Amino acid sequence: MEKKIGVYICECGPNIAEKIDIDKVIDAVSSLDDVNVVDRYKLLCSVDGKKFLEEQIKKQGLTHLVVAACSPKQHEQTFMEVCENAGINPYLFQLANIREQCAWITEDKDEATKKAIILVKAAIRRVRYHVSLEKKEIDSNPDVLVIGGGIAGIEASLQLASSDRKIYLVEKTSSLGGLITNYEKTFPSMRSSSEIIKQKIQDVDKNENIKVFTDSEVEESLGFFGNFQVKVKKTTEENEIVEFNVGAIVLATGSTLFDPDEIPRYGYGKIDNVITAFEFEKMNLSGVILLKNNKPPKSVAIIHCVGRNEKGYCSEICCMYSLKFVRYLKDKLPDVKVTNFYSDLCIPGKSDQKFYEETKGKNVDFIRATDLEITKQGDKINIKYKNETNENSLPIDMVILSPAVEPTSDAFKLAELTSISLGDGGFFSEEHEKLGPVSTSTDGVYIVGCAQGPKNISETVVQAGAATGKILSSLIPGRKIEPEIKTSQISESFCIGCKNCISVCSYGAITFDETRKIAVVNEVICRGCGNCVAACPSGAANIKHFTFNQIYQELMEAVK
Amino acid sequence: MAEKFEPRIVGFLCNWCSYAGADLAGSSKLKVPSSLIPIRVMCSSRVDPVIVETAFLRGADGVIVAGCHPGDCHYDEGNYYARRRFAVLKKVVETLGLESDRLRLSWISASEGQRFADVINEFNEKIKKMGPNPIRKKTSL
Amino acid sequence: MSDKEQYTDVLVIGAGIAGIEASLMLSTSDRKVHLIEKTSYTGGTVIKFEEVFSNMECSTCMVSPIQQELLQDKNINLLILTEIEEVKGSFGNFTAKIRKKASYVDLQNCIGCNECFEPCPVSLKNEFEEGLSERKAIYVPCAGALPNAPMIDTEHCLRFKGKDCRACQEACMFEAIDFNQKDEKLELKVGAIIVATGFNTFDPKQSPEYGYGKIDDVYTAFEFERLYASNGPTDGKILLKNGEIPKSAAIIHCVGRDKKGYCSSVCCMYSLKFNHYLKSKIPEIKISEFYTDLCIPGKSHQKFYEKMKETGTDMIRAGEIEVTKQGKGMAVKYNNGNGKKSILPVDMVILSPAIEPNDDASKLAKILDISLDEYGFFKEENQDVSSVITSNSGVFIAGCIQGPKNIQDSVSQASAAVGKILSLSR
Repeated sequence: MEKKIGVYICECGPNIAEKIDIDKVIDAVSSLDDVNVVDRYKLLCSVDGKKFLEEQIKKQGLTHLVVAACSPKQHEQTFMEVCENAGINPYLFQLANIREQCAWITEDKDEATKKAIILVKAAIRRVRYHVSLEKKEIDSNPDVLVIGGGIAGIEASLQLASSDRKIYLVEKTSSLGGLITNYEKTFPSMRSSSEIIKQKIQDVDKNENIKVFTDSEVEESLGFFGNFQVKVKKTTEENEIVEFNVGAIVLATGSTLFDPDEIPRYGYGKIDNVITAFEFEKMNLSGVILLKNNKPPKSVAIIHCVGRNEKGYCSEICCMYSLKFVRYLKDKLPDVKVTNFYSDLCIPGKSDQKFYEETKGKNVDFIRATDLEITKQGDKINIKYKNETNENSLPIDMVILSPAVEPTSDAFKLAELTSISLGDGGFFSEEHEKLGPVSTSTDGVYIVGCAQGPKNISETVVQAGAATGKILSSLIPGRKIEPEIKTSQISESFCIGCKNCISVCSYGAITFDETRKIAVVNEVICRGCGNCVAACPSGAANIKHFTFNQIYQELMEAVK
Repeated sequence: MAEKFEPRIVGFLCNWCSYAGADLAGSSKLKVPSSLIPIRVMCSSRVDPVIVETAFLRGADGVIVAGCHPGDCHYDEGNYYARRRFAVLKKVVETLGLESDRLRLSWISASEGQRFADVINEFNEKIKKMGPNPIRKKTSL
Repeated sequence: MSDKEQYTDVLVIGAGIAGIEASLMLSTSDRKVHLIEKTSYTGGTVIKFEEVFSNMECSTCMVSPIQQELLQDKNINLLILTEIEEVKGSFGNFTAKIRKKASYVDLQNCIGCNECFEPCPVSLKNEFEEGLSERKAIYVPCAGALPNAPMIDTEHCLRFKGKDCRACQEACMFEAIDFNQKDEKLELKVGAIIVATGFNTFDPKQSPEYGYGKIDDVYTAFEFERLYASNGPTDGKILLKNGEIPKSAAIIHCVGRDKKGYCSSVCCMYSLKFNHYLKSKIPEIKISEFYTDLCIPGKSHQKFYEKMKETGTDMIRAGEIEVTKQGKGMAVKYNNGNGKKSILPVDMVILSPAIEPNDDASKLAKILDISLDEYGFFKEENQDVSSVITSNSGVFIAGCIQGPKNIQDSVSQASAAVGKILSLSR
């Protein structure tokens, strides 16, 4: 097809007109092959300027457009829209940056003009090899799989479910509710946990758009955002496997507590009446706090930061729940003496310090200590510790260990299942620490709550809401998904099947076709970075709109 | 009498960081040598060794590849791969009969306009001292 | 909801990181968003930082792609220099009256060349740069501000004080300066409102023992952020007032904590970040961090602390801190816990102050008919359920306006607010 390239140079007021001899540039490029028209205009990004371009394209019957003006980061989108409005494919366009990276970086008009000529020529050479690219659209399934029936999973399910969006909630134990069902109260409000969670479980049960699978686990998940094929197995009956399709997956699998068995000096498992936070929650929920000899303790020690050094992070909630334990104890045993052993008091929430101030009081001590060792002394417990530089010891009836929060044992399996990775602490890795806390590197797979990292209930509920927001805004019933256009493409004839591209792709967008023995790009997942292109030894891979040849054309002008 | 040597430097700049940093140098009206001809790519990991070799064989006096700082890559790990390829490329450039310092890899963020200007100015001076690409006229492809 | 007409547009107040995230998400779901911002730029506080913990990534690189997206998004109506004046109605049917202040610059004509600044005869301290450098009466707050929208500060512009000055207009080639522009009053009909107006920091002048404002080279965290910033008043050079490079620095945590009554959760982390800032520009500098309890919750934060410890910084747990003049420089007097009083001479002191609610929090709360908590932050309806919900069912809150938090949690709240709106108003 005959190419008719229109080249328009923007004066950008004095910004380009005074720094570059535009007429010289026009002279230099007018006689190039395929160049139909070269002209200049005062301000191409203005309403008049855009109208001018649109009219020019139609009047001159242009097939390609080159604009020499400011940075593509400013107005590439603008001129692509002009092309579309004028009836040519927006990718048959190239913007030469003769402002930020040419006119503005030198006072020498000659120098700037020479460089502008090179840049415009390079744009013309490149655009000759541009190819029309079309938007892609694929159908999507709006339903969601939520893995984990604790507060995070329940919240997400309740917010997501609607008549045009089914939620499949898969819980590995026999009932919903997760860890919260074991707590009498939650901080800092000290409201009843069961009040909170029971109502929510009832709401889930009543909701006809949420299908709950208890005693179940996800066996397999194939596909991509908008189109995952899931298999769920009931763990009580071997053969019962359910299959369904969803568009998104939420991992709300929670956490567990570090096992203090791993640190012998705490005496857990060896000395009576040394219990973990979890065991204490259960005991407290039963209504009575008793030692092994069925008598109530007169003194209790709560030990913070158990396993912190081993895990390498602060679990955020333990200082606060340890304070909650002080309150539990004082409620049920008003005369008990409670001693908190801690290293740094971590009370970051806006209500937390007040909670702490109101927890301190008669018979409640806080001792900053290191090198704790719990030993048996007759039928009593003795805690040895270092306070500042002095060594001390304290006889005590009961010890509660507040251990670090860690990922569940099935985190690795779930990560593999959904093609996401584990990050710091072994928790699921978020896409971006700040801007993408609930997203992952796999589009359509979200991580919420303690599965993503230690956090309190309020933050967990917010994250469940965040994943809801992500899904409700991007996975809309009836709406097609538009993936990245400038994706990688691998030539079947040049591919030698070395799989180098597969190994470098951060997104898992390339798979190996065993039959044809070649690599195949999933254009829905591909983000267009080009890493596979550089990794390919046979030149089989290319990025649309950034092909080797297109870059080569720019380069040839650059080195002339 | 030798002509004053005006280097020709090709810069492969990544869209998200270094290209934006170069724009900022311009918006801040800093002086950057016009010897640099920028070529935009989406990620520094797109820059394949062949295009760099071609650049030198076709006469570039210097080639600079600029990407996001490690950890900041818009595509997660692209710049790490660029770094690895670069290490090998340095050796390859020597086999072409060129000083390996004619190839440069820099991490320049979108807010580092001054740094971009400094890096290009310094690179330009270095290339000037090294003189023209010795294989520029010898090779024909 | 009643049989009144249900509006689907959303009003987002505040174009910081939380407001931007919320707006983009709402736009993706095809909702129209009116994003109003009090200043002339987007990005809020985050763009004042060069790097952010815990990966120390470049903050502006992180934010500028989403700022660009925001500016080009057809569903988002960004209104800068705009504040809310009145809100009537309820969830699904709000009428919001807003006031868009005149910038006196026609943004259709303005191409952002900045030629109008130089000729302006008025110079004053630049608030964005924490007063460390100057700006003109016609200005953009910093290089690279988005949108690139100069504005005239009518409080200081000579013309608006009665003088016949046209210096900026004469310098403009695009007829972009229009002294006849007027403030606009607009009425928006929206279904829901998200408030994400950010925070202020405690003014250390209220705690004179830190010497702020009296002793040279005592800086607040924000001032230090601008000193380190590569687009800041010193191009990123860390220098003392006398032009010398500091040989030692003290970073003091918890400034104002006793007065505010809560821990601001991010200061320990950014104080450790400052350690990195200092070491990267001045490798031999001796740094001491004065803290009470190290608050570094999170799976990645202790790792960050360990790495920083390797640089040889002294972590000093101390109370009763006082910064005094000592000879030509200054010293930090402190009590290091076991009653022992000590004194450490330093060249530079950086104060890490508490986070407090914005100045206009109470005004906004009245307009939006939501309550404030005892600290002046916006109150979440119920501590145990989503903290983005307020007592006014159509008004949602996100970010530090609800309480001190880091960027990750602000973004999560913004997304959760959008989630609530989309799920409740289908």
